[in-house]
Amino acid sequence: MSGDNRFMGLIYLSPYILGLMVFTALPFLASLYLSFTNYNLMDAPVFTGLANYIKLFTADRTFRKSLWVTLIYVFTTVPLKLAFALFMAVILNYKLKFINVFRTAYYVPSILGGSIAIAVLWRYIFADVGLVNMGLQLIGFEPVNWFGDPTNALFTITLLRLWQFGSAMVIFLAALQSIDKTLYEAASIDGAGKWTGFVYITLPLITPVIFFNLIMQMVQAFQEFNGPYIITQGGPLKSTYLLPIYIYDEAFKRFDMGYASAIAWVLFVIIMALTLIAFWSSRHWVYYAGDKRG
Amino acid sequence: MKTLIMTAALFAATSLSPLSLSTASAANLRMSWWGSDDRHIATQEALKICGAKFGHTIAPEFTGFQGHQEKVATQLAGRTEADIMQINWPWLPLFSKSGDGFADLNQFKDIIDLSQWSKSDLDDGTVKGKLNGISVSTTGRVFMFNKTTYDKAGVPIPKTWDDLIAAAPVMKEKLGKEYFPFEGAALDARLVVVLRTTQKTGKDLIDPATNKVAWTQAELAEGLKFYQTLVDKGVIESWKTVAAGGNKPLHENQKWAKGQIAGTYQWDSTYGKIATPMEKGQELVPVKLLTIEGAKTDGVYRKPSMLFSISKNSKDPKAAAQVLNCLLNDPEAAKILGATRGIPSSKVALDTLNKEGKVKPVQLEAYKRVMEPTSPGVSPLNEHPRVTEVFDTNFEAYAYGQQSAEDTAEEIIAGINDALTGI
Repeated sequence: MSGDNRFMGLIYLSPYILGLMVFTALPFLASLYLSFTNYNLMDAPVFTGLANYIKLFTADRTFRKSLWVTLIYVFTTVPLKLAFALFMAVILNYKLKFINVFRTAYYVPSILGGSIAIAVLWRYIFADVGLVNMGLQLIGFEPVNWFGDPTNALFTITLLRLWQFGSAMVIFLAALQSIDKTLYEAASIDGAGKWTGFVYITLPLITPVIFFNLIMQMVQAFQEFNGPYIITQGGPLKSTYLLPIYIYDEAFKRFDMGYASAIAWVLFVIIMALTLIAFWSSRHWVYYAGDKRG
Repeated sequence: MKTLIMTAALFAATSLSPLSLSTASAANLRMSWWGSDDRHIATQEALKICGAKFGHTIAPEFTGFQGHQEKVATQLAGRTEADIMQINWPWLPLFSKSGDGFADLNQFKDIIDLSQWSKSDLDDGTVKGKLNGISVSTTGRVFMFNKTTYDKAGVPIPKTWDDLIAAAPVMKEKLGKEYFPFEGAALDARLVVVLRTTQKTGKDLIDPATNKVAWTQAELAEGLKFYQTLVDKGVIESWKTVAAGGNKPLHENQKWAKGQIAGTYQWDSTYGKIATPMEKGQELVPVKLLTIEGAKTDGVYRKPSMLFSISKNSKDPKAAAQVLNCLLNDPEAAKILGATRGIPSSKVALDTLNKEGKVKPVQLEAYKRVMEPTSPGVSPLNEHPRVTEVFDTNFEAYAYGQQSAEDTAEEIIAGINDALTGI
């Protein structure tokens, strides 16, 4: 490499590195420092040691409730969404007429799903006099209190997330299409049916993609904000009060940046821990090309 | 390379030229506010007039109310706030605890004609002796009823709480069980409880002398039970039912538009907003506060609807003061702004609007309902985010039947006192 070009790669990368430092790394570290302070935006931060964390774990009932709701939400939506995305990908992997139209149609909710407009639409669809209840009444059922009942509210929010299965589906679809068809032919000659082929050929071969989708969906689910914030504002009775909403309320409604930063760091540690567990467990169920395991 | 240097020099010279040509007195200012379209249009027009009078240019920054507080807070933290700001009165304890959060407008009394405001108006904007903001208008909660629905049911518009409760069964019998003479959940329900308890005790929620809850547990518990009475008697929909509708604001609620919900307790300045979506032929009337026998006060919840403040970081606070004075006291600006921020507190602005017939009779009627009744005074801490969080969380639990009125009152009082410690 000539002297003139020695730093070319670094120059090309510098806008990204600069952006990463200024907009991610710096706030990341700043929030760690702020989590040990009492900071209300107006006055300078005052160092308070572990006070925020002690309050969080010993005296904050809202945090406990919010953490519980968040865990239920994540452990419900992630497996359901992955299963549904895989199911749809398998169907859309068949050579059907207008298959590209179907693929596009099923992907569209993923583009729109996280938007404010869709959240508002969701609020109208599931309202007491909304489309869903009208449909239920048409077929003879009683209308359901989707938002006012604490048990149903989280389910309604979960449905909005499941509806956005498109991005995971596209990744599954790409993985399914990369599987060598001769494997199925060989299995078929040996008498394997479609289900056996799916369980013993498809699933093992797409485990790296399942693993990737699992990590991505889990991280995204922990960070869910738009839907519940617009639709239920975390209610009723904090039944949809996910941790990101709690962080936002503490930071921008009650201006307790120190406490909000502490919650954000606890959330980060939870996500990191679960990701590490997933990576550790992947040794037992994820199979890569050239893997010699029996 | 030569060309590049020449181009850069030319660019720098041209971009700096407006600065070098500007006169010493002319200033480039920014003004931020929240509101609806009519306010946005009128304010931009008024800023042009006021800017032209002094040779200043004022860049407008406007949003809806939702999210505006967060925007102002982050701007204040980053010292990038606008020179002139529309500030919500309850934000003063948050943004200017010691009175140093905004410029002290007393320093500009040779520019701003402070004689146009009453002492009480100026006191409302004063923190620790510093005039942090000037009251633009006064607002308060008033009762408004759908006269058309009440007439159809053959029920007179209520004057007392008992009248209101008595209206429910008649209205349901005559018009159907989906009809309610009143509404209340979340904020509206909290303010009904506050009103009722203030009327009975003669005290506001927060005692300004101690910054603690002024009510006893029994007094607050009675107020909470009154809310439950309204639900049980079919006067208002339950909290759960309102939540089922998606917690839509009143002006987006179909039941309100159709007249099935026939009464509310709202800010007087929202009359236009909630009257507009009502179906054709329906009449909304603001009335006097409902009364109760043995009340110690009318209990009106009256406060400055908003303040105009000047940034303490403004590079040209005198220019900002000139514009602020123009917006609030100049007859020409007053005519343009009309009642887009409520009925003005400035005497000269109010006189101008009255002379020009710029205030609708029904707006004046609602304003009268706010200004006439007695009140023990309202602390800005009533709307402190920690106070509302504690109140609403526990109140909701009570409304859902998860805890008793007594336990709820105890939790609210302890929570608020704890939250306000040190404020």
